[in-house]
Amino acid sequence: MGNFTDILTFQLLNSGIRLATPIILAALGGALCNRAGVLNLALEGKMLLGAFLAIVVAFYVGNTYIGIVIAMMAGGLLGLLFAFLYHRYEVDLIILAIALNMLILELTVYFMRVLFGQVGSWSDPSIQRVPDIQIPVLKNIPVLGDILNGYNFIVYFSWFAAIALYFILFHTKFGRHVRAVGENKEAAETVGINSRRVQTFALVISGMLAAMGGAFLSVGHLKLFTRNMSNGRGWTAITAALFGFNHPIATFFTGLFFGFADAFAVRIQNVTDLPPNLAQLIPHFTTLVVLVLVALREKVGQMLARRRFQTQLQSPQTSPEGATSPASGTD
Amino acid sequence: MALALEMKGITKYFPSSDVLANNNVDFTVEAGEVHALVGENGAGKTTLMNILYGLVKPDSGEIFLDGNKVSIGHPDDAIRLGIGMVHQHFKLVPSFTVAQNIMLGIEPSTFGVLRQRDENEAVARLAEQYGLPVDPTAHVRDLPVGMQQRVEILKVLQREAKILILDEPTAVLTPQEVGELIRIVRNLSKLGYTIIFITHKLVEVMHVADRVSVMRGGRMMGTKKVSDTSIPELARMMVGREVILQLEKPEARPGEVVFEAKDVTVASASGVPAVLNLSLQVREGEILGVAGVSGNGQTELVEAIAGMRPLDGGKLYFLGKEINRLDVYQRRHLGMAHIPEDRIQVGLNLEANLDENLIVSRYKLPRFNRMGFLLRRAIRDFSASIIEKFSIAGARPGGSIATLSGGNMQKVVVGRELSGNPKFIIANQPTRGLDVGSIEFVHQTLLDARAEGAGILLVSVELDEIMSLSDRIVVLYRGQIQGELDAATATEEEIGILMAGGTLQETARSMKAAAS
Ligand SMILES: Nc1ncnc2c1ncn2[C@@H]1O[C@H](COP(=O)(O)OP(=O)(O)OP(=O)(O)O)[C@@H](O)[C@H]1O
Ligand SMILES: [Mg+2]
Repeated sequence: MGNFTDILTFQLLNSGIRLATPIILAALGGALCNRAGVLNLALEGKMLLGAFLAIVVAFYVGNTYIGIVIAMMAGGLLGLLFAFLYHRYEVDLIILAIALNMLILELTVYFMRVLFGQVGSWSDPSIQRVPDIQIPVLKNIPVLGDILNGYNFIVYFSWFAAIALYFILFHTKFGRHVRAVGENKEAAETVGINSRRVQTFALVISGMLAAMGGAFLSVGHLKLFTRNMSNGRGWTAITAALFGFNHPIATFFTGLFFGFADAFAVRIQNVTDLPPNLAQLIPHFTTLVVLVLVALREKVGQMLARRRFQTQLQSPQTSPEGATSPASGTD
Repeated sequence: MALALEMKGITKYFPSSDVLANNNVDFTVEAGEVHALVGENGAGKTTLMNILYGLVKPDSGEIFLDGNKVSIGHPDDAIRLGIGMVHQHFKLVPSFTVAQNIMLGIEPSTFGVLRQRDENEAVARLAEQYGLPVDPTAHVRDLPVGMQQRVEILKVLQREAKILILDEPTAVLTPQEVGELIRIVRNLSKLGYTIIFITHKLVEVMHVADRVSVMRGGRMMGTKKVSDTSIPELARMMVGREVILQLEKPEARPGEVVFEAKDVTVASASGVPAVLNLSLQVREGEILGVAGVSGNGQTELVEAIAGMRPLDGGKLYFLGKEINRLDVYQRRHLGMAHIPEDRIQVGLNLEANLDENLIVSRYKLPRFNRMGFLLRRAIRDFSASIIEKFSIAGARPGGSIATLSGGNMQKVVVGRELSGNPKFIIANQPTRGLDVGSIEFVHQTLLDARAEGAGILLVSVELDEIMSLSDRIVVLYRGQIQGELDAATATEEEIGILMAGGTLQETARSMKAAAS
């Protein structure tokens, strides 16, 4: 019995990590964009496009890796297009993103029907799923090995991407410029930093990451494309970035948490009689809760500071002299 | 002396606001001098400097550095040519440290990887070299304004600028900090730097500059040696008429209490008490001046009274009614007005146009609104009247507000707050960044409001302003009232002692000592 639950737990962890991967990839892209001061709400659409292109190209070319590369290039190109429209014509990024999300949803459905005559989902036996990797060193470590070993390269890439992005943002010259542009664009520009270049870079990279996340869905995790395959993961990714303060490492763990919520929802359906619709709500519900937390976080912080201040005022040993150290104003 | 800079026939027209900001301007600066540039709000000083720094492209004109013609199309060019600018509104990244801000764009790195230790050391060395101590690892958002400015100056020096442009560097500083800045500037000039110093305060011109150029309405009116000119002459050149530097102030006739604060306590952003058990009253027809070194709770007190910050103790009364629970809109609706110290962040919404800025918190009045629809015509007329009354240069009804000059933005705020007969006015640094003529005008408007029976709480770090306008003066020190003085008899010395945390007894003693 004990052994049985262990296996279940490992399975849950494994599928959590897998399901977290697309969210993490897109969330890292979102965090990068937020850092550069360009809101990227098109992650959802770019992810869906990535999922579709990866499997379609894999089918026609007969090579899954090429499918993934093409998907990422398309995501990057879309990012480039966004940057161009934004900088050149000052198009509102939010409106652009909403339009793109809707467009891609319809386009993928359309092409699925035109190319393969399918409406809901499509697959073909000739398509190869991205193979899982066995890492010899990891494999032999008892518990850790079971948790960390045996995923495909996209999963490992998402871990690497989190660390790399952290390093870039906080330890390289370019990353510092990204953060400066995002926080005070004028300050960056007056010292000669090219804010357009920085923002274009962020949009391109985030497009590529989101598309890669999408590719993971269609050829990494499953080998199938379904209508609206991204299913809100792009939006969840944005939440993850926000909750992680746009910090790559914190964003990574928030994404991981959402992945577990996903996995948990799947598991619940298998082991209980809970209506599937209700179980599928779980990830969305967690997203909502986290969003509310994001909104409340600041308020709560202020409230706690105030509470602390008031108790400190009431405590008798605080002499007015001690308490009135000059608090520098916000001027 | 050799000319460090020569600008010839500079002309710049802004079609969007239909303003000829620079009209065939000639401007020359000698190497190693401190050259003051003065002029009314909207005279074109910032525009001229932005052209020199490559932020604005002139329609025509030439620029020579050390006798060589140069073309400056971008701040990069200016930096490369040794020109540095400290902007009227600072351009710093708040979450970055001092060192990160100073080295922004020129970070020491190996293959793109930052060498953060080198960076801090370089800044420490730089600070020492110029005698401008800073903590390289402090976050800029935690620094007082004077320190932030020092960071801006170091930023320019680090880029090896030879010509430094300081655009209204003293507008946001306390008198102490101004003294310090003047010392720094004189010292830099001794080290061979050429400095262009924009200011509205002619006293500062006399202290800091070797020569001074005056602009008016986009034209260059002339350049004088400071030793050959006087404040009244400069004022006349700036405004084009005699400026009355002495105000006419009728006897106060205080009436009922309009506003009262009782035992008010307010926490600052960091949680420590910024205002502690403070009580004060303002009567109809009087001006209560609040003096003090900035950072002693003025900001928090004003924000609490205006309704922007919750109280942590005590009560506020307006016309005898408790207003603790009322929000900003409700307080304003009752007849409170507020000229905030920060016009960009608090006073205005730069994304909205002039009309919208002028009718905030008034758009529901029947005058501007019929059954939920705004009356465009009435609003236009209203903003036209304010533009005219406050002579806001470069503004037109429905026009942009972000392109106004700093001083003219301030006039928009003052105009909005003082129209509509408020019963109680909180004026926090109401003349920051204004030219002499406009200061005179704002002061007169405040006195008129007082004559009509408004109660005014005037918060200012300018002692002159406090002393010439107030009827009573309280001095704020560490969030408490250190003492109250009658404005008619108060001396600058007395206020100074209170501002430094001394007591009235000490004041009396020092007076006696001075007398004997
Ligand atoms: N980008 C712009 N677009 C349109 N008009 C502008 C722009 N920049 C400045 N102006 C106008 O040009 C005029 C000169 O502005 P400038 O900022 O040079 O004045 P200033 O002398 O620096 O005034 P202040 O002392 O108030 O700072 C103003 O009337 C302003 O409204
Ligand atoms: Mg200016």
